[in-house]
Amino acid sequence: MTGRWAARLHLPTLAVAAVVVAGWFLLSWRYGAFVLPSPLAVLRGLVEIVRTGEVWRHTGASLARIAVGFGGAVLVAVGMGLLAFLSRTARVVVHDLLAVLNATSVFVWIVLSIIWFGLSSWGPIFTTFMITLPVVASNLIEGVESVDRRLLEMGDVYRLSGRQKFSAIVVPSIIPYLVAGMKVGFGLALKVSVIAEIFGVTTGIGYAMNYSREILATQMVFVWALVMILVMMTTDKFVFDTVTRRLMRWR
Amino acid sequence: MAVALEVAGVGKDFLIPVIDSVSFAVEAGEFVCLLGPNGCGKTTLLRIVGGLEPPSRGTVTLGGEPVFGSGRHTRKVGVVFQEDRLLPWRTLRENVELVQKPLGADAADRRRTGDRYLRLAGLAGFEDYYPTRVSGGMRQRAAIARALAIEPDLLLMDEPFGALDAQNRRIMQTEVRRIWRETGRTILFVTHAIEEAVAIGTTLIMLSARPARIRTLVRNDGRVERAKLIDDLNTIIMEEVERQQGSGA
Repeated sequence: MTGRWAARLHLPTLAVAAVVVAGWFLLSWRYGAFVLPSPLAVLRGLVEIVRTGEVWRHTGASLARIAVGFGGAVLVAVGMGLLAFLSRTARVVVHDLLAVLNATSVFVWIVLSIIWFGLSSWGPIFTTFMITLPVVASNLIEGVESVDRRLLEMGDVYRLSGRQKFSAIVVPSIIPYLVAGMKVGFGLALKVSVIAEIFGVTTGIGYAMNYSREILATQMVFVWALVMILVMMTTDKFVFDTVTRRLMRWR
Repeated sequence: MAVALEVAGVGKDFLIPVIDSVSFAVEAGEFVCLLGPNGCGKTTLLRIVGGLEPPSRGTVTLGGEPVFGSGRHTRKVGVVFQEDRLLPWRTLRENVELVQKPLGADAADRRRTGDRYLRLAGLAGFEDYYPTRVSGGMRQRAAIARALAIEPDLLLMDEPFGALDAQNRRIMQTEVRRIWRETGRTILFVTHAIEEAVAIGTTLIMLSARPARIRTLVRNDGRVERAKLIDDLNTIIMEEVERQQGSGA
């Protein structure tokens, strides 16, 4: 693991990062801390929220909402995938439904959730659910469509039962699509739930960021953006990449 | 000898008639090669025999049971396709074990039977490999082991070595001939390669160009010299190809 990280942080990347930070210093010196706080101020802010534990409170609140909204979306998507697998008619209906959901803006769900659920955690949860559902489900349907018919025919030749064909042929064919969909979906969930948290809740990364702006603590806006980026990169590396590697052992 | 397979007046239409009418009987333990010009319906005939496609007319009987009857027949048919059709996410051993599950054997039995046929197919030591980790020839060996593991009443092979290079092809022909001798299975083997059919089959059935009929049926029992048999069959196939092109023009 260490070796891979060292290899990834190769010199040209570090050089570019150094130039960016240097530029950031210059610009913040030129325009002032309100418009662009210096990297040092941001670093101090990060240390501060880690020390007070505020980082865990808000990140935890955001992740809990994502767990419910995104988790629900994955469950419903799996149900839709099953339907699409069992019936061609259902596949067409689900396909069209997802096209509509895919075309709907985040803002529609945010506004609707305020009307429907008032100012509560259900806003970000509902928004996350509605936005990630089509992403995960579309991937699953694509997986269902890609199941190799020749393998299913082989299953028929050897008289495998429906359940045996499902667990030995269908599920392993679809799982890579599910994991890919979940990876994209989780990234989207994090971005979307944070926007929804601007309205009506008093915890979460989105709330913390908007609050920092209101009290004119621009450096904290940067700190929370940094926290978001870190959460995203960590889950990508340690959850999804690991799972993918595990599942793709046979390749 | 007992008749293992009887094909009676089988025909198939896909918009146009592909198979006109084909009848033949295979005795238990025979190694029958089905030959014919490209596109004459060899694979379709094999799929009908295997119960993968219904015929437009005629009947197929396996050990006395109709393949397209009201219920499922109880005979066991193993199929080796042109492609290996192994599950890439399962090891060779797991692939061979899987097809024994519907037969009701317990896990230890499946393991024993599976390993025996993997060994017979020359895959001892490769049981735990994933299909992507072995060569195309070895994958096709595993597909043969899988078909044998259900101890089939009839083994169907649809140009199983079509994707292999010439050298591997020759090796696999010898191997299949050996496996046939050691297991005594009844085999129906589709190929378009006359040399291959003459090298491995005990009975050769040559189909005509589309719509297919049986053009000739030869016992390959050594009474006719191989070189002459190959020559004769080549002449027939050229006639058929010319006839088809003539009628097409």
